[in-house]
Amino acid sequence: MMVVRVAIVVALLGLVITLGLAFRRDPHDIRTGTVGKPAPAFTLQRLDGSGDVALADLSGKVVVVNFFASWCLPCTEENPALVRVYERYRSSNVVMLGVNYQESRENGLAYVRRMGMGWTTVADTDGRVALSYGVFGPPETFFIGPDGVIAGRHIGPIDEATLVTGIETLRTRAAR
Amino acid sequence: MSAGDLGAAALRAALFLSLWGTGAAIYAAWRRDARALHSARIAAGIGFALVVLAALSMMFALATHDFSILYVAENNARETPLFYSVISLWAALEGSILLWTAILAGATAFIAVRGTVAIPRLATTALAVMFAMLTFFLLLITTPAADPFARLALAPDNGNGPNALLQNHPLMALHPPLLYLGYVLTSVPFAYAIASLILGEGGDRWLVATRRFALISWALLGVGIVAGAWWSYAVLGWGGYWAWDPVENAAIMPWLTSTAYLHSVMVEEKRSLLRTWNLALVVATFALTILGTFLTRSGVVNSVHSFSLSAIGPLLLGYLVAILVLSVGLLLWRSGRLRDAGPIGAPLSREAIFLFQNVLFMAATLTVLLGTLYPLVAEAISGAQLSIGGPYFDRVEIPLALALLFLMGVGPQLPWHGASRATLERQFTAPIVAAAAGAVAALVTGTTALAAVLTYALGAFVIATVVQEFARGVRARRTLHGEDGVAAFSNLLRRSGRRYGGYVVHLGIVVVALAVATSQARTVDAERTLAPGESLQVAGYTVRLDAVRAVSEPQRESIVADLVVTGNGANQDLRPALVQYPSSAQAVGSPGIGAGLRDDVYTILAAYDQRTLSWATIRMRVIPGVSWLWLGGAVVGIGAVIAGAPPPRRRVVRMPIAEVAAPAK
Amino acid sequence: MNGRVLVAIALLVLAGALVFAARPHEATADERIDQITTELRCPVCQGLSVKDSTSETARQMRDLVAQRVREGKTNAEIEAEFRTAYGDWIFLSPPLSSWSGLVWLVPVAVIAAGLGLVSARLRGPGAPAPTAPSAAQVAALRERVAREEAAEG
Repeated sequence: MMVVRVAIVVALLGLVITLGLAFRRDPHDIRTGTVGKPAPAFTLQRLDGSGDVALADLSGKVVVVNFFASWCLPCTEENPALVRVYERYRSSNVVMLGVNYQESRENGLAYVRRMGMGWTTVADTDGRVALSYGVFGPPETFFIGPDGVIAGRHIGPIDEATLVTGIETLRTRAAR
Repeated sequence: MSAGDLGAAALRAALFLSLWGTGAAIYAAWRRDARALHSARIAAGIGFALVVLAALSMMFALATHDFSILYVAENNARETPLFYSVISLWAALEGSILLWTAILAGATAFIAVRGTVAIPRLATTALAVMFAMLTFFLLLITTPAADPFARLALAPDNGNGPNALLQNHPLMALHPPLLYLGYVLTSVPFAYAIASLILGEGGDRWLVATRRFALISWALLGVGIVAGAWWSYAVLGWGGYWAWDPVENAAIMPWLTSTAYLHSVMVEEKRSLLRTWNLALVVATFALTILGTFLTRSGVVNSVHSFSLSAIGPLLLGYLVAILVLSVGLLLWRSGRLRDAGPIGAPLSREAIFLFQNVLFMAATLTVLLGTLYPLVAEAISGAQLSIGGPYFDRVEIPLALALLFLMGVGPQLPWHGASRATLERQFTAPIVAAAAGAVAALVTGTTALAAVLTYALGAFVIATVVQEFARGVRARRTLHGEDGVAAFSNLLRRSGRRYGGYVVHLGIVVVALAVATSQARTVDAERTLAPGESLQVAGYTVRLDAVRAVSEPQRESIVADLVVTGNGANQDLRPALVQYPSSAQAVGSPGIGAGLRDDVYTILAAYDQRTLSWATIRMRVIPGVSWLWLGGAVVGIGAVIAGAPPPRRRVVRMPIAEVAAPAK
Repeated sequence: MNGRVLVAIALLVLAGALVFAARPHEATADERIDQITTELRCPVCQGLSVKDSTSETARQMRDLVAQRVREGKTNAEIEAEFRTAYGDWIFLSPPLSSWSGLVWLVPVAVIAAGLGLVSARLRGPGAPAPTAPSAAQVAALRERVAREEAAEG
């Protein structure tokens, strides 16, 4: 019966330690996904209907893919940072690409015009691109290097510093 | 003085009384001091009254929209209807803990008044344990960790309103209080078990004293779980009633161990065996209620029910650790004294079946526990993020449940000590024939999934054993007492309530099992976008969309689809809706349910034309037999009432020796 | 004897019904979609499966699975596609292949340990049945009956 007693004590200790460790965990921190893998290819129609954009055509450039929607409040929150960073890099080899998530083209386009989003925006009507990137919900931002590999990912509203760091890391890596 | 001040003051006074009561009860138990016991009783009574006063103050503050209280500002709005204002007492963390404390104070007062009459020392010690637990909860709600009456410096004009999901259905008034009652009442058997261990008393006095409490808390947990399943079916809008959500798991675990206890305790009563084990089950049941509260209230796991992160997590974890250290320490220390004499019985005896049943219940409980915690363990060890959900639990728990269904039919048919071959033949011929009929019935009615066919077979098996038992009991009373059939039947339930009430519970469980099997195996889905006048057909039912319209109420805005269901004898209007509360970013779906004994037609408004309301996407599920799940839950509750009702007063008849000692038939 | 024949026939019927229910059959496309979506976790829900969830994301995932099934992909290929994007997190029951599959051993281990402990306590078939109760046992029983009556009265 000694074995049983020891087993009980060990099991309970394990339980308590697990629960204690669980405090350090943030249930919203999700690390699974596509970082470090080649960015899934896609070709999507522009929101304004003026033709298609293919990720493959952007190879050799630093691409910031931002999933957004007009019904998503944090997207509105992060938008000024995106606008500033877009202005800062618009004449470089950095491309910003907004992917409109789960809404109608009209609503998406109205939002883009209202929010002053000058960069290319495309419609992911059936959600396939979001699914292939492992998106949980907007806003999410992916940093894709000139080699076409996803180097970083940010879930939730992003700020200017995080955007710049993500972009600069890729630019210096490309320069070397 | 505002209601908030009154409540806060009442809680502080109750805390003081609870501390006093703890000391007085310990002193009374230690020195057998009647005056100290009397003083502890008074502290328990007044303390209970004060906590109830605090809970009522909170309800009053909610009903009068007193937004100077943070809890009211966060969980109430001017537009919230009175009914939902009042029940918002349990809409969030602080209020729930206040309700919990009120129930615990009630149980403490009950033990102080009623329990300490018959068996003073054991009950007085148990009272001290109850007071200690009450003190912990009063500490929680009088410190910032979970202070329900915390103030806002500046009262806002209006509050956020209750969580959208919690103000969408009246079942919210029923399901949490039932569960909390069940949870908290498990602390009574726990307190007596701890008292019995502290005093080093062998014997089953604690067990006799708490038998009814154990049954009541078990029944409340069970009915509360079914009510919760019903709530999620009627509110969450996906057409299911059980998702192995962490909070559901937290509720089912103590129910499982408590069910195991209610059965294995019979072995102790009849044979004076399994003493340590029964104590361990009582401790486990109670500890699991605290663990469940911790899991869902500390934010370590994501759940429909998890409230926002608060400082309460570490405190609850500390409480859980204290309880585990105390009770496991006492159990290990005293287990030598509680050792059983001799072997248990033959493999085909009732006590052996109870043991096998206990093994299965343990497996079921530990699977739920580890399944719930495993993602935490995996992430802590390897950083891997993974999910454990429905498919895992279904694969493990359904076979266990089927095995338990089988034992539920076998156990009551076997005598204590062991069964002869003749007994086996007499007891099992009819049930086995019934099982075959059940399997055929499943196939004939189109329920062809293997697990469902097995459920039908085993369900018929159990029903046959119960009918057989009732038939024999009625026949025996007719011969012995010359009663007519109806009188004999009602006397069985009244005079042998524990046994026959137990069989009624078994019937209720079978009904639940059949409802689950049928609804899981034969649910049919369809989804279509309809313009007004168009319709959708599923499983013989036709759903026609008449109109999509916007409805405006003070507390919410809704888009409602007017549907008419016809077919299979049904003719009903359903109104699935998407409801937008100001407090929540996204609209909540409110299903339109056409309930029936045969099928439920469950409709959801999935999407609609936002500009001109000219179309709506309707998702429709035909779910057979699901109503029987709630009915089965009610039967379980009725059976528990029969089993727990005190038998009619009778003359104390000394039974002849042979009848007392002989193994039951 | 009549009873035994009846039981034998009943057991045969029961076995037949179960074998019929368990017969292997080729899953239809709809059944395969259900199988796959039952196992997939809806990313925007609280632990609901893609099959059960009414969210837009779940709807898009169901559409994707349906399309892949139509394209003739195997279940494993479709699951691999989701694993690439979301990792093992996307599956509601952990795969047997990795060490996380250990969780499947829990019920087996508990049952094995429990049966071991229980069978050690059971009386063997050769052991004597309990004899008539001694006077002391009867006295104890009498006392308990009286006490329980007092407690219940």
